[in-house]
Amino acid sequence: MSGGVSVLDIKGMSKSYGAVKAVDDVDLHIDHGEILGLIGPNGSGKSTFFDCTTGLARPDGGKVSLEGQDISDWSLNRIAREGRMLRSFQKTVVFKKLNVEENLVIAGQMFTFGGVLSTFGIGRGTRAKVKGLREHARELISLVGLDQVAHMPAGNLSGGQQKLIQFASMLMPDPRLIMLDEPMAGINPKLIERVVETIQYANQKMGVSFLIIEHNIDVVTSLCSRTIVLDRGRKLCEGTPAQVIANDQVREAYLGG
Amino acid sequence: MTDSSSIPADTRPQTRDLRTPVSILLFLLALCSPLFLGTYAVHALVIAMIFLLPAHGLNLLVGYTGMLSLAQAAFFGIGAYCAALMATHFDTSFPVNLLAAVVLAMAVAVPLGIPALQLRATSFVMCTLGFVIITQAIAKNWISVTRGDMGLSGLPKPTFSLGGLSWTASTAQQSYYVALGLAALATFVFWLIVRSPAGRNLIAIRENETLAESLGVPTWRYRLAAFVLAAGFAGAGGALYAHYISVASPLMFQTLYTTTMLIIVLGGGSGSISGVVIGSILFVALSEGLRIAPELRMIAYGACLLLLVFRFPQGFAPYLSKLWDRIGGQTRKEGSA
Repeated sequence: MSGGVSVLDIKGMSKSYGAVKAVDDVDLHIDHGEILGLIGPNGSGKSTFFDCTTGLARPDGGKVSLEGQDISDWSLNRIAREGRMLRSFQKTVVFKKLNVEENLVIAGQMFTFGGVLSTFGIGRGTRAKVKGLREHARELISLVGLDQVAHMPAGNLSGGQQKLIQFASMLMPDPRLIMLDEPMAGINPKLIERVVETIQYANQKMGVSFLIIEHNIDVVTSLCSRTIVLDRGRKLCEGTPAQVIANDQVREAYLGG
Repeated sequence: MTDSSSIPADTRPQTRDLRTPVSILLFLLALCSPLFLGTYAVHALVIAMIFLLPAHGLNLLVGYTGMLSLAQAAFFGIGAYCAALMATHFDTSFPVNLLAAVVLAMAVAVPLGIPALQLRATSFVMCTLGFVIITQAIAKNWISVTRGDMGLSGLPKPTFSLGGLSWTASTAQQSYYVALGLAALATFVFWLIVRSPAGRNLIAIRENETLAESLGVPTWRYRLAAFVLAAGFAGAGGALYAHYISVASPLMFQTLYTTTMLIIVLGGGSGSISGVVIGSILFVALSEGLRIAPELRMIAYGACLLLLVFRFPQGFAPYLSKLWDRIGGQTRKEGSA
């Protein structure tokens, strides 16, 4: 392992569903400022790995450390709130009935207000904080190029635009680490370019580290310096995207049964 | 809200914005109606405004947080018994009893909510139904305290005293103003809650709980907070009801009370403040008005509900907001009307 503490360090992650080992003793670390790719055929355990890392599912074993702090038994909301480690979902989710701006304001609220009780506030301080959140939301809406639709219900927008909303929402709390589950699935090529640029911007200008599950190998090649391949719940190999693609075992995993 | 100022100037003549005069008119109507309505109609309105309180609480749960609770009637009853016991044993005044009822209902909601909110969907609904049955059983059987089926009767009418001055709401007309004041206060508090950042988080939970979690919202704590606040609204309603009808009895836990609250919220329009306000007046007034034909009353009431479900599946709230837009002079584009 390289010197210094990684942003995220996972040791021996395992998860079984009945007799099926969905994730089998996987180690993984993400360095500061890194964009790490996670690829593998369908059913190789990538999403399960995500769910176990972010507290959505309970792993059978393994330890997750976020900047040296053990967060193995933290809940999804605590990992987001206290760890500032956010995740997206494979199937795009936004608050459909709320407009784009409200979506982002909600995403920022728990980070601006300390706890549940302070969100019930009605005083001037609360209004100022919400105003600040709205301004921040508008900046991020501009960043992902959705100014024109900022006041439309999020559910009325295209799948690609919803991905952008989801991504902008994750940038609201000034995150340390963002985990993206297939950010490019089902969006048109023009938007792919925009998402790639936004990820690079967040990485370079805002210092956000990324872990990205992605099937589009061009995207992985242009974004990631290092890539890990999962197959049947195990880590198959690790290297630069070019090295990984050239690997015979990887070709076999994708092509063969 | 759509921003109408960004739309380029419309050449068609716009109707004038009448929202302010209409609001003033409605306010005056609410203030003056006891002067021209008969005693019975005033009584029906008092009952409507009393039921508005637990209905606000239920709306917070159903309309904002997205969970259906039948326990509002239990907290309504707890509020009523709390006020009755305070009045009979300590001879405390109405405002003190009201406050105590709110505090007790909220305090009871915490230990009930903690296990109940582990459950989801139908299991949660069944669990809250259980609370009503248990509280009713306690009210019936803990005779040394509650006097069983007889209930606690002879509660004084709401009295307010300040210094040497004292005022009692003894007539229906006077009770009307007490109920109106409390209903207005409760509506204002409800409005503050739902427009706070917490209200936005509750809506987020209703829309997509997992997404809200992933954005750092501790959804379980929010659902508990909503459950406890809803109990507080119901407790206030119960205390007012007990003082108004001067009795607290196990009848308060019967299904009719639960269904009335549900009908107000679902029929009025869950997730809408004005919808629930209109709903409380309309449905309680309807139920009371149908007393002219007692033997057909419940059948007619049921028929009205069926009509409502088929004709207005979203309740009245969408129609209200459309009407309000029209009063505001915002005409829809041609063809889309």
